[in-house]
Amino acid sequence: MIQFDRVHLRYDSGISLRDLNFRVDPNEFIYLFGPSGSGKSSILRLIYMELFPNAGEVNVFNINSIRARRQDIAKVRQNIGMVFQVSRLLPDRDVYANIALPLELLGFPSKEVRQKVTHIADELNIRSRLNHYPHELSGGEERRLSLARASINLPDILLVDEPTAHLDEISKKSVMEAICRIHDRGTSVIFATHDDSLLRQHNARVLTLDSGTIIEDRIV
Amino acid sequence: MKLNYIIREGIVGIRRSTMAFMNSVFSVTIALVLVAVGVLFVDNGLEFIGQLQADYDLEIFLENEADAGIKQELATIISEYPGIFRMDYLSKEDAAALYNAEFGEDVLSLLDDNPLPSSFRVTFEETYRSTNYIQAFINSMEALPMVDEIMFKRDLFDRVQGIMKSIYVVAAAAIFLIILSTVFLTSNNLRLMILSRYDFIETVRLLGASDFMVKAPFFLEGGLLGFIGGVFAILIISGFEFALKYFHIIDLPSRIMNHPELMIGTLLFGIALSSLGMLKTVRRMLRFVA
Repeated sequence: MIQFDRVHLRYDSGISLRDLNFRVDPNEFIYLFGPSGSGKSSILRLIYMELFPNAGEVNVFNINSIRARRQDIAKVRQNIGMVFQVSRLLPDRDVYANIALPLELLGFPSKEVRQKVTHIADELNIRSRLNHYPHELSGGEERRLSLARASINLPDILLVDEPTAHLDEISKKSVMEAICRIHDRGTSVIFATHDDSLLRQHNARVLTLDSGTIIEDRIV
Repeated sequence: MKLNYIIREGIVGIRRSTMAFMNSVFSVTIALVLVAVGVLFVDNGLEFIGQLQADYDLEIFLENEADAGIKQELATIISEYPGIFRMDYLSKEDAAALYNAEFGEDVLSLLDDNPLPSSFRVTFEETYRSTNYIQAFINSMEALPMVDEIMFKRDLFDRVQGIMKSIYVVAAAAIFLIILSTVFLTSNNLRLMILSRYDFIETVRLLGASDFMVKAPFFLEGGLLGFIGGVFAILIISGFEFALKYFHIIDLPSRIMNHPELMIGTLLFGIALSSLGMLKTVRRMLRFVA
Protein backbone atom coordinates (compact mmCIF):
# COMPACT_ATOMS: atom_id res chain seq x y z
CA MET A 1 0.00 0.00 0.00
CA ILE A 2 2.77 2.41 1.01
CA GLN A 3 6.43 1.68 0.44
CA PHE A 4 9.41 3.84 1.46
CA ASP A 5 12.72 2.78 -0.14
CA ARG A 6 15.91 4.47 1.01
CA VAL A 7 14.15 7.80 1.29
CA HIS A 8 16.17 10.93 1.96
CA LEU A 9 14.59 14.31 2.40
CA ARG A 10 16.60 17.47 2.73
CA TYR A 11 15.16 20.86 3.68
CA ASP A 12 17.03 24.09 3.01
CA SER A 13 17.53 24.34 6.76
CA GLY A 14 19.11 20.87 6.96
CA ILE A 15 18.44 17.18 6.49
CA SER A 16 15.07 15.94 7.71
CA LEU A 17 14.89 12.24 6.80
CA ARG A 18 17.70 9.77 6.08
CA ASP A 19 17.61 6.36 4.52
CA LEU A 20 14.04 5.58 5.48
CA ASN A 21 12.76 2.08 4.66
CA PHE A 22 9.36 0.76 5.66
CA ARG A 23 6.08 -0.44 4.24
CA VAL A 24 2.50 -0.10 5.34
CA ASP A 25 0.00 -2.91 4.67
CA PRO A 26 -3.78 -2.63 4.44
CA ASN A 27 -5.63 -2.15 7.73
CA GLU A 28 -2.47 -1.47 9.74
CA PHE A 29 -2.43 1.01 12.61
CA ILE A 30 0.96 2.68 12.84
CA TYR A 31 2.20 5.24 15.30
CA LEU A 32 4.98 7.51 14.11
CA PHE A 33 6.43 8.34 17.45
CA GLY A 34 9.18 10.80 18.21
CA PRO A 35 10.02 14.25 19.48
CA SER A 36 9.34 17.45 17.57
CA GLY A 37 11.58 17.74 14.52
CA SER A 38 12.13 13.99 14.26
CA GLY A 39 10.48 13.87 10.83
CA LYS A 40 6.95 12.58 11.58
CA SER A 41 5.09 15.29 9.68
CA SER A 42 7.55 15.07 6.80
CA ILE A 43 6.75 11.36 6.40
CA LEU A 44 3.03 12.13 6.29
CA ARG A 45 3.61 14.89 3.74
CA LEU A 46 5.70 12.51 1.61
CA ILE A 47 2.86 9.98 1.64
CA TYR A 48 0.46 12.75 0.79
CA MET A 49 2.76 13.87 -2.02
CA GLU A 50 2.94 17.37 -0.70
CA LEU A 51 6.71 16.80 -0.43
CA PHE A 52 8.94 14.72 -2.67
CA PRO A 53 12.10 12.83 -1.65
CA ASN A 54 15.56 14.06 -2.68
CA ALA A 55 16.65 10.46 -2.98
CA GLY A 56 14.92 7.10 -2.78
CA GLU A 57 11.34 6.27 -3.66
CA VAL A 58 7.95 6.70 -2.08
CA ASN A 59 5.26 4.50 -3.62
CA VAL A 60 1.64 4.97 -2.63
CA PHE A 61 -0.98 2.71 -4.23
CA ASN A 62 1.76 1.72 -6.71
CA ILE A 63 2.25 5.32 -7.76
CA ASN A 64 5.79 6.59 -7.48
CA SER A 65 5.68 10.10 -6.10
CA ILE A 66 8.62 11.31 -8.21
CA ARG A 67 7.01 10.16 -11.44
CA ALA A 68 3.45 11.04 -10.44
CA ARG A 69 1.60 13.50 -12.64
CA ARG A 70 -0.67 16.09 -11.07
CA GLN A 71 -3.78 14.01 -11.82
CA ASP A 72 -2.10 10.97 -10.21
CA ILE A 73 -1.47 13.02 -7.07
CA ALA A 74 -5.13 14.05 -7.02
CA LYS A 75 -6.14 10.36 -7.34
CA VAL A 76 -3.82 9.36 -4.48
CA ARG A 77 -5.23 12.09 -2.26
CA GLN A 78 -8.79 11.04 -3.02
CA ASN A 79 -7.96 7.73 -1.30
CA ILE A 80 -6.18 9.28 1.65
CA GLY A 81 -7.78 11.17 4.51
CA MET A 82 -5.56 13.71 6.18
CA VAL A 83 -5.89 15.45 9.52
CA PHE A 84 -3.34 18.23 9.44
CA GLN A 85 -1.46 19.55 12.43
CA VAL A 86 -2.76 23.00 11.49
CA SER A 87 -6.43 22.30 10.87
CA ARG A 88 -6.67 23.70 7.30
CA LEU A 89 -10.43 23.97 7.66
CA LEU A 90 -12.13 26.57 5.52
CA PRO A 91 -13.06 29.34 7.96
CA ASP A 92 -15.72 30.92 5.75
CA ARG A 93 -17.71 27.67 5.43
CA ASP A 94 -19.81 26.05 8.09
CA VAL A 95 -19.12 22.60 9.51
CA TYR A 96 -21.49 20.93 7.04
CA ALA A 97 -19.79 22.52 4.02
CA ASN A 98 -16.33 21.63 5.35
CA ILE A 99 -17.24 17.96 5.80
CA ALA A 100 -19.09 17.77 2.48
CA LEU A 101 -16.26 19.26 0.41
CA PRO A 102 -14.33 16.03 -0.42
CA LEU A 103 -17.54 14.33 -1.58
CA GLU A 104 -18.56 17.30 -3.68
CA LEU A 105 -15.16 17.33 -5.34
CA LEU A 106 -15.75 13.70 -6.29
CA GLY A 107 -19.16 14.53 -7.73
CA PHE A 108 -21.43 12.75 -5.24
CA PRO A 109 -25.12 13.68 -5.62
CA SER A 110 -26.26 16.18 -3.00
CA LYS A 111 -28.76 13.75 -1.42
CA GLU A 112 -26.01 11.22 -0.79
CA VAL A 113 -23.70 13.96 0.47
CA ARG A 114 -26.35 15.02 2.99
CA GLN A 115 -26.84 11.45 4.21
CA LYS A 116 -23.12 10.80 4.60
CA VAL A 117 -22.42 14.12 6.32
CA THR A 118 -25.21 13.70 8.88
CA HIS A 119 -24.16 10.10 9.48
CA ILE A 120 -20.51 10.94 10.17
CA ALA A 121 -21.49 14.02 12.18
CA ASP A 122 -23.64 11.74 14.36
CA GLU A 123 -20.78 9.29 14.69
CA LEU A 124 -18.30 11.98 15.74
CA ASN A 125 -20.82 13.79 17.89
CA ILE A 126 -20.79 17.11 16.03
CA ARG A 127 -24.30 16.90 14.52
CA SER A 128 -25.50 19.83 16.60
CA ARG A 129 -22.62 21.94 15.28
CA LEU A 130 -23.28 21.45 11.55
CA ASN A 131 -24.44 25.04 11.05
CA HIS A 132 -21.58 26.56 13.00
CA TYR A 133 -18.31 27.90 11.67
CA PRO A 134 -14.92 26.43 12.62
CA HIS A 135 -13.99 29.38 14.83
CA GLU A 136 -17.10 28.69 16.91
CA LEU A 137 -15.94 25.16 17.81
CA SER A 138 -13.90 23.94 20.76
CA GLY A 139 -10.47 22.35 20.17
CA GLY A 140 -11.89 18.82 20.45
CA GLU A 141 -14.78 19.60 18.12
CA GLU A 142 -12.40 21.12 15.60
CA ARG A 143 -10.28 17.94 15.58
CA ARG A 144 -13.39 15.80 15.20
CA LEU A 145 -14.49 18.03 12.33
CA SER A 146 -11.09 17.50 10.68
CA LEU A 147 -11.50 13.75 11.22
CA ALA A 148 -15.00 13.83 9.76
CA ARG A 149 -13.72 15.62 6.64
CA ALA A 150 -10.76 13.25 6.33
CA SER A 151 -12.84 10.08 6.60
CA ILE A 152 -16.12 11.06 4.93
CA ASN A 153 -15.27 9.27 1.66
CA LEU A 154 -14.02 6.11 3.43
CA PRO A 155 -10.37 6.46 2.44
CA ASP A 156 -7.99 3.51 2.34
CA ILE A 157 -5.48 5.40 4.49
CA LEU A 158 -5.99 7.96 7.23
CA LEU A 159 -3.04 10.18 8.14
CA VAL A 160 -3.32 12.06 11.40
CA ASP A 161 -0.75 14.56 12.57
CA GLU A 162 -0.75 15.22 16.33
CA PRO A 163 -4.55 15.12 16.49
CA THR A 164 -4.67 15.23 20.28
CA ALA A 165 -2.18 18.02 20.88
CA HIS A 166 -3.43 20.74 23.22
CA LEU A 167 -6.62 18.83 24.05
CA ASP A 168 -7.94 18.00 27.53
CA GLU A 169 -8.23 14.34 28.55
CA ILE A 170 -11.92 14.00 27.64
CA SER A 171 -11.48 15.52 24.18
CA LYS A 172 -8.33 13.46 23.68
CA LYS A 173 -10.25 10.29 24.49
CA SER A 174 -13.13 11.11 22.16
CA VAL A 175 -10.73 11.88 19.29
CA MET A 176 -8.84 8.61 19.90
CA GLU A 177 -12.09 6.66 19.96
CA ALA A 178 -13.14 8.22 16.69
CA ILE A 179 -9.82 7.31 15.05
CA CYS A 180 -10.08 3.73 16.31
CA ARG A 181 -13.62 3.44 14.93
CA ILE A 182 -12.39 4.59 11.53
CA HIS A 183 -9.59 1.99 11.72
CA ASP A 184 -12.10 -0.72 12.66
CA ARG A 185 -13.93 -0.03 9.40
CA GLY A 186 -10.84 -1.23 7.53
CA THR A 187 -8.91 2.00 7.03
CA SER A 188 -5.15 1.98 7.61
CA VAL A 189 -4.14 4.65 10.09
CA ILE A 190 -0.79 6.40 10.36
CA PHE A 191 -0.77 8.43 13.52
CA ALA A 192 2.03 10.92 14.22
CA THR A 193 2.47 11.79 17.87
CA HIS A 194 5.05 12.71 20.47
CA ASP A 195 2.71 11.65 23.33
CA ASP A 196 3.77 8.20 24.56
CA SER A 197 0.63 7.83 26.70
CA LEU A 198 -1.33 7.35 23.47
CA LEU A 199 0.76 4.35 22.42
CA ARG A 200 -0.79 2.23 25.15
CA GLN A 201 -4.36 2.95 24.06
CA HIS A 202 -4.42 0.86 20.92
CA ASN A 203 -2.63 -2.26 19.70
CA ALA A 204 -0.46 -1.00 16.95
CA ARG A 205 2.90 -0.92 15.25
CA VAL A 206 5.16 1.85 16.47
CA LEU A 207 7.88 3.39 14.34
CA THR A 208 10.07 5.42 16.65
CA LEU A 209 11.89 8.24 14.96
CA ASP A 210 14.84 10.29 15.99
CA SER A 211 16.56 12.93 13.87
CA GLY A 212 14.95 11.65 10.70
CA THR A 213 15.76 7.96 11.06
CA ILE A 214 13.70 5.03 12.31
CA ILE A 215 15.41 3.78 15.45
CA GLU A 216 12.81 1.21 16.41
CA ASP A 217 10.00 -0.71 14.67
CA ARG A 218 7.91 -2.67 17.21
CA ILE A 219 4.40 -3.92 17.95
CA VAL A 220 2.71 -2.77 21.16
CA MET B 1 -22.62 15.80 -10.06
CA LYS B 2 -19.33 17.59 -10.55
CA LEU B 3 -21.13 20.15 -12.72
CA ASN B 4 -23.35 21.05 -9.76
CA TYR B 5 -20.26 21.67 -7.67
CA ILE B 6 -18.63 23.79 -10.37
CA ILE B 7 -21.72 25.95 -10.92
CA ARG B 8 -22.46 26.33 -7.22
CA GLU B 9 -18.86 27.03 -6.30
CA GLY B 10 -18.59 29.57 -9.15
CA ILE B 11 -21.61 31.47 -7.83
CA VAL B 12 -20.83 30.97 -4.13
CA GLY B 13 -17.29 32.20 -4.77
CA ILE B 14 -18.75 35.61 -5.61
CA ARG B 15 -20.58 35.75 -2.28
CA ARG B 16 -17.50 34.70 -0.35
CA SER B 17 -15.38 37.54 -1.66
CA THR B 18 -17.94 40.16 -2.56
CA MET B 19 -15.61 43.14 -2.20
CA ALA B 20 -12.86 41.63 -4.33
CA PHE B 21 -15.47 40.59 -6.89
CA MET B 22 -17.00 44.07 -7.01
CA ASN B 23 -13.52 45.56 -7.42
CA SER B 24 -12.90 43.28 -10.37
CA VAL B 25 -16.32 44.05 -11.89
CA PHE B 26 -15.45 47.73 -11.58
CA SER B 27 -12.11 47.30 -13.31
CA VAL B 28 -13.63 45.14 -16.08
CA THR B 29 -16.39 47.73 -16.54
CA ILE B 30 -13.87 50.54 -16.85
CA ALA B 31 -11.81 48.46 -19.25
CA LEU B 32 -14.81 47.68 -21.44
CA VAL B 33 -16.05 51.28 -21.36
CA LEU B 34 -12.63 52.38 -22.60
CA VAL B 35 -12.62 49.85 -25.42
CA ALA B 36 -16.23 50.49 -26.49
CA VAL B 37 -15.84 54.29 -26.28
CA GLY B 38 -12.69 53.93 -28.38
CA VAL B 39 -14.58 51.99 -31.04
CA LEU B 40 -17.52 54.41 -30.96
CA PHE B 41 -15.20 57.40 -31.11
CA VAL B 42 -13.62 56.03 -34.26
CA ASP B 43 -16.97 55.13 -35.75
CA ASN B 44 -18.40 58.57 -35.06
CA GLY B 45 -15.22 60.21 -36.32
CA LEU B 46 -15.47 58.35 -39.59
CA GLU B 47 -19.18 59.18 -39.91
CA PHE B 48 -18.37 62.83 -39.34
CA ILE B 49 -15.60 62.85 -41.92
CA GLY B 50 -17.84 60.93 -44.30
CA GLN B 51 -20.39 63.73 -44.05
CA LEU B 52 -17.77 66.13 -45.39
CA GLN B 53 -17.71 64.14 -48.58
CA ALA B 54 -20.22 64.88 -51.29
CA ASP B 55 -23.26 62.61 -51.49
CA TYR B 56 -21.72 61.17 -54.60
CA ASP B 57 -18.19 60.68 -55.90
CA LEU B 58 -18.57 61.96 -59.47
CA GLU B 59 -21.15 63.19 -61.98
CA ILE B 60 -21.31 62.21 -65.66
CA PHE B 61 -22.95 64.88 -67.80
CA LEU B 62 -24.58 63.84 -71.04
CA GLU B 63 -24.85 65.69 -74.30
CA ASN B 64 -28.22 67.27 -75.06
CA GLU B 65 -28.66 65.00 -78.05
CA ALA B 66 -28.61 61.84 -75.96
CA ASP B 67 -31.96 60.08 -76.42
CA ALA B 68 -33.74 57.73 -74.04
CA GLY B 69 -32.21 54.64 -75.70
CA ILE B 70 -28.66 55.94 -75.30
CA LYS B 71 -29.33 56.95 -71.69
CA GLN B 72 -30.67 53.50 -70.93
CA GLU B 73 -27.62 51.92 -72.52
CA LEU B 74 -25.26 54.17 -70.52
CA ALA B 75 -27.15 53.45 -67.31
CA THR B 76 -26.64 49.71 -67.86
CA ILE B 77 -22.92 50.12 -68.61
CA ILE B 78 -22.36 52.27 -65.51
CA SER B 79 -24.37 50.14 -63.12
CA GLU B 80 -22.62 46.96 -64.29
CA TYR B 81 -19.16 48.47 -63.77
CA PRO B 82 -17.49 46.70 -60.83
CA GLY B 83 -17.45 48.62 -57.56
CA ILE B 84 -20.44 50.87 -58.21
CA PHE B 85 -22.37 51.31 -54.96
CA ARG B 86 -25.10 53.66 -56.26
CA MET B 87 -26.06 55.37 -59.49
CA ASP B 88 -28.78 58.05 -59.78
CA TYR B 89 -30.08 59.51 -63.03
CA LEU B 90 -30.85 63.25 -63.05
CA SER B 91 -32.96 64.44 -65.98
CA LYS B 92 -32.75 68.00 -67.29
CA GLU B 93 -35.89 68.78 -65.26
CA ASP B 94 -34.35 67.32 -62.09
CA ALA B 95 -31.27 69.44 -62.66
CA ALA B 96 -33.43 72.55 -63.07
CA ALA B 97 -35.30 71.75 -59.87
CA LEU B 98 -31.98 71.32 -58.04
CA TYR B 99 -30.74 74.63 -59.41
CA ASN B 100 -33.94 76.25 -58.26
CA ALA B 101 -33.60 74.74 -54.80
CA GLU B 102 -29.96 75.74 -54.48
CA PHE B 103 -29.99 79.28 -55.95
CA GLY B 104 -33.64 80.22 -55.43
CA GLU B 105 -34.15 81.11 -59.07
CA ASP B 106 -36.02 79.33 -61.81
CA VAL B 107 -33.58 78.72 -64.63
CA LEU B 108 -36.43 78.74 -67.17
CA SER B 109 -37.43 82.25 -66.21
CA LEU B 110 -33.89 83.45 -66.94
CA LEU B 111 -33.48 81.63 -70.25
CA ASP B 112 -35.96 80.43 -72.78
CA ASP B 113 -34.65 76.94 -72.83
CA ASN B 114 -33.32 74.65 -70.05
CA PRO B 115 -29.53 74.62 -70.61
CA LEU B 116 -28.81 72.16 -67.82
CA PRO B 117 -27.72 68.72 -69.03
CA SER B 118 -29.01 65.41 -67.77
CA SER B 119 -26.48 63.40 -65.80
CA PHE B 120 -25.62 60.28 -63.79
CA ARG B 121 -24.37 60.66 -60.23
CA VAL B 122 -22.15 57.78 -59.22
CA THR B 123 -20.98 56.58 -55.82
CA PHE B 124 -18.36 53.86 -55.40
CA GLU B 125 -18.20 51.09 -52.85
CA GLU B 126 -15.83 51.82 -49.97
CA THR B 127 -13.27 49.22 -51.04
CA TYR B 128 -13.13 50.60 -54.62
CA ARG B 129 -12.81 54.19 -53.48
CA SER B 130 -9.31 55.04 -54.67
CA THR B 131 -8.19 57.79 -57.02
CA ASN B 132 -6.58 55.38 -59.47
CA TYR B 133 -9.63 53.19 -59.72
CA ILE B 134 -11.96 56.15 -60.19
CA GLN B 135 -9.62 57.65 -62.80
CA ALA B 136 -9.71 54.39 -64.74
CA PHE B 137 -13.51 54.49 -64.58
CA ILE B 138 -13.52 58.07 -65.85
CA ASN B 139 -11.25 57.13 -68.75
CA SER B 140 -13.53 54.32 -69.84
CA MET B 141 -16.64 56.50 -69.51
CA GLU B 142 -15.13 59.35 -71.52
CA ALA B 143 -14.70 56.95 -74.43
CA LEU B 144 -18.45 56.32 -74.55
CA PRO B 145 -20.69 58.25 -76.98
CA MET B 146 -22.86 61.08 -75.73
CA VAL B 147 -20.77 61.60 -72.61
CA ASP B 148 -20.06 65.31 -72.52
CA GLU B 149 -18.10 65.82 -69.33
CA ILE B 150 -17.25 64.06 -66.10
CA MET B 151 -16.96 66.09 -62.92
CA PHE B 152 -14.74 64.59 -60.21
CA LYS B 153 -13.46 66.75 -57.33
CA ARG B 154 -10.19 64.96 -57.06
CA ASP B 155 -8.53 67.28 -54.51
CA LEU B 156 -11.36 67.08 -52.00
CA PHE B 157 -11.68 63.37 -52.57
CA ASP B 158 -7.95 62.79 -51.99
CA ARG B 159 -7.93 64.91 -48.84
CA VAL B 160 -10.91 63.14 -47.28
CA GLN B 161 -9.49 59.73 -48.17
CA GLY B 162 -6.15 60.70 -46.60
CA ILE B 163 -7.82 61.85 -43.39
CA MET B 164 -9.86 58.65 -43.20
CA LYS B 165 -6.79 56.50 -43.74
CA SER B 166 -4.96 58.35 -40.94
CA ILE B 167 -7.95 57.92 -38.65
CA TYR B 168 -7.98 54.17 -39.34
CA VAL B 169 -4.28 53.85 -38.49
CA VAL B 170 -4.44 56.02 -35.35
CA ALA B 171 -7.65 54.33 -34.23
CA ALA B 172 -6.26 50.83 -34.73
CA ALA B 173 -3.16 51.73 -32.71
CA ALA B 174 -5.21 53.46 -30.01
CA ILE B 175 -7.66 50.58 -29.65
CA PHE B 176 -4.77 48.11 -29.51
CA LEU B 177 -3.16 50.15 -26.72
CA ILE B 178 -6.47 50.46 -24.89
CA ILE B 179 -7.03 46.70 -25.09
CA LEU B 180 -3.49 46.06 -23.89
CA SER B 181 -3.88 48.38 -20.92
CA THR B 182 -7.30 46.93 -20.06
CA VAL B 183 -5.83 43.41 -20.05
CA PHE B 184 -3.08 44.62 -17.72
CA LEU B 185 -5.50 46.52 -15.45
CA THR B 186 -7.91 43.61 -15.25
CA SER B 187 -5.31 40.90 -14.76
CA ASN B 188 -3.86 42.74 -11.77
CA ASN B 189 -7.27 42.94 -10.14
CA LEU B 190 -8.05 39.31 -10.87
CA ARG B 191 -4.70 38.30 -9.38
CA LEU B 192 -5.54 40.14 -6.17
CA MET B 193 -8.98 38.54 -6.13
CA ILE B 194 -7.57 35.03 -6.50
CA LEU B 195 -4.74 35.65 -4.05
CA SER B 196 -7.39 36.23 -1.39
CA ARG B 197 -8.60 32.68 -2.10
CA TYR B 198 -5.20 31.00 -1.95
CA ASP B 199 -6.10 29.01 1.18
CA PHE B 200 -9.18 27.62 -0.50
CA ILE B 201 -7.22 26.56 -3.58
CA GLU B 202 -4.54 24.91 -1.47
CA THR B 203 -7.07 23.11 0.71
CA VAL B 204 -9.19 21.68 -2.10
CA ARG B 205 -6.08 20.54 -3.91
CA LEU B 206 -4.92 18.76 -0.74
CA LEU B 207 -8.36 17.19 -0.44
CA GLY B 208 -7.87 15.53 -3.82
CA ALA B 209 -9.33 18.04 -6.27
CA SER B 210 -7.96 17.72 -9.78
CA ASP B 211 -6.62 20.87 -11.42
CA PHE B 212 -9.76 20.95 -13.54
CA MET B 213 -11.99 20.96 -10.46
CA VAL B 214 -9.96 23.81 -8.99
CA LYS B 215 -9.96 25.89 -12.17
CA ALA B 216 -13.49 25.34 -13.49
CA PRO B 217 -15.39 27.33 -10.81
CA PHE B 218 -12.98 30.24 -11.21
CA PHE B 219 -13.41 30.12 -14.98
CA LEU B 220 -17.19 30.29 -14.51
CA GLU B 221 -16.87 33.06 -11.95
CA GLY B 222 -14.69 34.99 -14.39
CA GLY B 223 -17.33 34.57 -17.10
CA LEU B 224 -20.03 35.94 -14.80
CA LEU B 225 -17.76 38.77 -13.77
CA GLY B 226 -17.08 39.69 -17.40
CA PHE B 227 -20.77 39.49 -18.30
CA ILE B 228 -21.79 41.79 -15.45
CA GLY B 229 -18.93 44.17 -16.31
CA GLY B 230 -20.08 44.13 -19.96
CA VAL B 231 -23.69 44.92 -19.06
CA PHE B 232 -22.56 47.79 -16.82
CA ALA B 233 -20.29 49.12 -19.58
CA ILE B 234 -23.13 49.10 -22.13
CA LEU B 235 -25.48 50.82 -19.67
CA ILE B 236 -22.88 53.50 -18.85
CA ILE B 237 -22.17 54.23 -22.51
CA SER B 238 -25.88 54.29 -23.40
CA GLY B 239 -26.55 56.62 -20.48
CA PHE B 240 -23.73 58.89 -21.58
CA GLU B 241 -24.98 58.97 -25.18
CA PHE B 242 -28.51 59.70 -23.95
CA ALA B 243 -27.21 62.54 -21.74
CA LEU B 244 -25.33 64.08 -24.69
CA LYS B 245 -28.57 64.17 -26.68
CA TYR B 246 -30.79 65.17 -23.73
CA PHE B 247 -28.65 68.18 -22.89
CA HIS B 248 -28.38 69.09 -26.60
CA ILE B 249 -24.60 68.83 -26.57
CA ILE B 250 -24.36 66.58 -29.61
CA ASP B 251 -26.56 63.96 -31.21
CA LEU B 252 -24.06 61.26 -32.11
CA PRO B 253 -24.66 59.71 -35.53
CA SER B 254 -23.41 56.35 -34.34
CA ARG B 255 -24.54 55.01 -30.94
CA ILE B 256 -23.93 51.74 -29.18
CA MET B 257 -27.65 50.92 -29.27
CA ASN B 258 -27.53 51.04 -33.08
CA HIS B 259 -24.73 48.49 -33.06
CA PRO B 260 -25.84 45.12 -31.69
CA GLU B 261 -22.53 43.72 -32.93
CA LEU B 262 -20.65 46.18 -30.70
CA MET B 263 -22.82 45.29 -27.69
CA ILE B 264 -22.30 41.56 -28.25
CA GLY B 265 -18.61 42.22 -28.84
CA THR B 266 -18.34 44.16 -25.57
CA LEU B 267 -20.03 41.34 -23.65
CA LEU B 268 -17.93 38.63 -25.31
CA PHE B 269 -14.73 40.60 -24.81
CA GLY B 270 -15.62 41.10 -21.13
CA ILE B 271 -16.40 37.42 -20.66
CA ALA B 272 -13.26 36.30 -22.47
CA LEU B 273 -11.06 38.86 -20.74
CA SER B 274 -12.07 37.92 -17.22
CA SER B 275 -12.64 34.17 -17.57
CA LEU B 276 -9.35 33.62 -19.39
CA GLY B 277 -7.65 36.05 -17.00
CA MET B 278 -8.97 34.04 -14.04
CA LEU B 279 -7.90 30.78 -15.65
CA LYS B 280 -4.39 32.08 -16.27
CA THR B 281 -4.05 33.39 -12.73
CA VAL B 282 -5.30 30.15 -11.12
CA ARG B 283 -3.00 28.12 -13.35
CA ARG B 284 -0.08 30.24 -12.26
CA MET B 285 -1.07 29.84 -8.62
CA LEU B 286 -1.44 26.07 -8.98
CA ARG B 287 2.25 25.91 -9.88
CA PHE B 288 2.98 26.78 -6.26
CA VAL B 289 0.49 24.29 -4.84
CA ALA B 290 1.60 20.65 -4.77
